[in-house]
Amino acid sequence: MPVLELREITKVFPGVIANERVSLELEKGEIVALLGENGAGKTTLMNVVYGLLSADGGEILMDGEPAKIKSPRQAIDHGIGMVHQHFMLVEPLTVTENIVLGREPGRLGVIDFKIARERVIEISQRYGLKIDPDARIEDLSVGMQQRVEILKALFQGARVLILDEPTAVLTPQEVRELFGVVRSLVDEGLSVVFITHKLEEVMAVADRIVVMRDGRVVGETRPEDTDEIGLARMMVGRDVVLRVEKPVSTCGDTVLEVSDLHADDERGLEAVKGVSFSVCGGEVVAVAGVSGNGQTELVDCIVGLRRPTGGTMHLKGKDITHASARSSIEAGVSHIPEDRHRRGLVLEFDLAENLILGDHRTPPYSTRGLLHPKAVTTMARKRIDDYDVRTPSEKVIASNLSGGNQQKLVVAREIGRDPELLVAAQPTRGLDVGAIEFVHRQILDERAEGKAVLLVSLELEEVLSLADRILVMYEGRIVREFTADEADEETLGYYMTGGGGVKLDDDARQAGPIESGGDA
Amino acid sequence: MLGDIITPDLFASAFRMATPLALAAIGGTICERSGVVNIALEGIMLTGAFFGTAAVLATGSPWFGVLMAMVAGVVISAIHAFASVNLKADQVVSGTAINLLALGVTGFLMERWYGHPGTTDPIKTLGPILRLTAEGGGFLGEVWRWVNGIFLTHTPIVYITVLIAIFAQWAIYNTRWGLRLRAMGEHPRAVDTVGVNVYRGRWVAVLMSGALAGLAGANLTIEQVGSFTENMTNGRGFIALAANIFGRWTALGSYGASLLFGLADGLQIKLQILRDVIRIPPQFFLMLPYVLTVVVLAGVIGRAVAPAAVGEPYEKKG
Ligand SMILES: Nc1ncnc2c1ncn2[C@@H]1O[C@H](COP(=O)(O)OP(=O)(O)OP(=O)(O)O)[C@@H](O)[C@H]1O
Ligand SMILES: [Mg+2]
Repeated sequence: MPVLELREITKVFPGVIANERVSLELEKGEIVALLGENGAGKTTLMNVVYGLLSADGGEILMDGEPAKIKSPRQAIDHGIGMVHQHFMLVEPLTVTENIVLGREPGRLGVIDFKIARERVIEISQRYGLKIDPDARIEDLSVGMQQRVEILKALFQGARVLILDEPTAVLTPQEVRELFGVVRSLVDEGLSVVFITHKLEEVMAVADRIVVMRDGRVVGETRPEDTDEIGLARMMVGRDVVLRVEKPVSTCGDTVLEVSDLHADDERGLEAVKGVSFSVCGGEVVAVAGVSGNGQTELVDCIVGLRRPTGGTMHLKGKDITHASARSSIEAGVSHIPEDRHRRGLVLEFDLAENLILGDHRTPPYSTRGLLHPKAVTTMARKRIDDYDVRTPSEKVIASNLSGGNQQKLVVAREIGRDPELLVAAQPTRGLDVGAIEFVHRQILDERAEGKAVLLVSLELEEVLSLADRILVMYEGRIVREFTADEADEETLGYYMTGGGGVKLDDDARQAGPIESGGDA
Repeated sequence: MLGDIITPDLFASAFRMATPLALAAIGGTICERSGVVNIALEGIMLTGAFFGTAAVLATGSPWFGVLMAMVAGVVISAIHAFASVNLKADQVVSGTAINLLALGVTGFLMERWYGHPGTTDPIKTLGPILRLTAEGGGFLGEVWRWVNGIFLTHTPIVYITVLIAIFAQWAIYNTRWGLRLRAMGEHPRAVDTVGVNVYRGRWVAVLMSGALAGLAGANLTIEQVGSFTENMTNGRGFIALAANIFGRWTALGSYGASLLFGLADGLQIKLQILRDVIRIPPQFFLMLPYVLTVVVLAGVIGRAVAPAAVGEPYEKKG
């Protein structure tokens, strides 16, 4: 008997049928990968299971018994846990506080923090999820935060764990660790639903693969019966090129020239320690590195969101060292930020409004301080069409788009502006294979038109398939530079983790993976 | 000269003046920690002051008056809770509306019930709990005079407020309620996803702030002044908000900040005697607590970090 069974779940949003009679079964100890294009309805389905959304039809069964799940509380009581696409952690609180929230041990309303802490340590040891129970969430890396999310679900007694795009924000190393954790969970008898867009991950962890398209289940298969190309075809309904061809291109004039750049992070510590490089027209330069090695600060400086503490930057010979975000846009810099929610979109604005951010002062969208709604709408419809943003209309507010479609919207705006320099940080985060192919083509088109592209990505495959030159960044410095055909994943990974002189990854791991040095 | 200004009485008055500020400020702390801005503290305090007085006038029992002041505070804050939690109205607008409403309602009822605007008849008040004599000579006698003068001459709510501050501080950091409260003001959706009802939590927090601000009103009328005068809160609710921020959204911090404002207020009165020495208008002294508020908020404390989701209505998904 399946632990979890969904029968004909239907969920309708204004103008969209997000789920149409979706049925799904999950056996004990099984890992099911849920696969599908952006906007296929995966998150919606899981939100229904977790009680965050109420279905318009269908039923949910746990252990064969109909389960009424109208709120997360009831889902938790049924043993369902969920790690959300966008994390649900309270940043200023500690790991322990976050994990026990809602089920605090203690008497008469007084929390027994000693017991709470012990239980957190106990669970973390049992499943091999090492963590410092006293660290504050805001001080943890994304990978560690995800651990806290998983621990939270386990603490609440989850038997079914839903992971919504858990690997989108992780480094390859963290992804491997996560897979280890997931396997130890199913060994303990848990069942896992795993949503992802990365086909190689699906092949690596899934027992069974369910594919959704347009709100319906369109197929089911097993890793041993298919391959990545087959999966991609099932998902998108056509053949997908997983690695786009990169024609040769010639280097034009220097577009971006960065020399001896220094910058601090939020805490005032030096994050960029003297970086120099240039990008010429018709060239894609990629910055590869494990997150937190200064890439974010470097990008912020280039797009005018952060004051450098030293060094200079020139765009086509013009000094932009102290340019504001506005003048940097006017100088022809476009920016796809790594965090679409915090920096890429105004979630409460509609799609058309989001699409003209940054261009809202320029004709034909506005003249003399007045917007021209017609021009804006025309442009918005075209961009939404060109970039295949799945939405009923341009009047929908951005927060109602699926994660991947939000990303497409940002990409549409930034590339659509036709910049001199495109600074793209994690441009394909959360996109499905079809959309990735499309965005990669757009980036290469920019290159073919003689524009400069600076790509920052944790995805080595993306870096290798797009870049003409690759700069490896480690602890605020560029430690190595490769041309496209010199590099492979292994060498890049080695230098990204401080190999070749500074520190070996394995040494760090033997010292214990606890990140913040607590006394767990 | 200095001996006339720095007296036990100066510090005792700091505690007295701090009490209504601290009560409202702690109410503000609880409310804002849950994610709801409460600029209605002023109006709630005024409402509590009025209904507390009215209850004492009707029954002759000061303690019943205190109770009614708190009930009135809870009732009027329910409007704020409903508007900001359920209707998802702008919390500043709702708070402003309540401040205006409180001013109007108390003024109107004043005329209806007592037949005249201005001030009510005097009421029976709560006096100091202890009345110890401050005699004895020598150094010990002097120490005793100070200790007694500063700490032992107060009315009940002054002591209750100290206890509330300590208890609230402990509760916010050590109880289930406190943890959920803190989480709610930072990331309500996270709290919702672990199965805790954000709407209910915010309602409770707003009502608690109403009870505390109501109690502040009772302290003003039933312990300090002995009658109700229209608009007698006179901006204290706003200073309390500043005290909450100065105290970095903690209960003890709020109390400490209120004490500082109370001291400034006491000093201001004492300094009036300097008027004959240096000729400046008395209004300058009256300004002292407010100037202090501005200076403190603008510079001294640096950037205060408010709860991340404060002021944002929480909307469940469909
Ligand atoms: N709150 C909402 N209001 C209106 N429409 C919504 C809402 N949430 C989702 N949708 C729509 O429902 C559809 C399914 O969205 P969902 O988030 O489930 O997609 P997804 O499969 O998770 O995609 P992705 O891979 O991009 O995360 C989309 O068309 C989306 O625009
Ligand atoms: Mg999704």
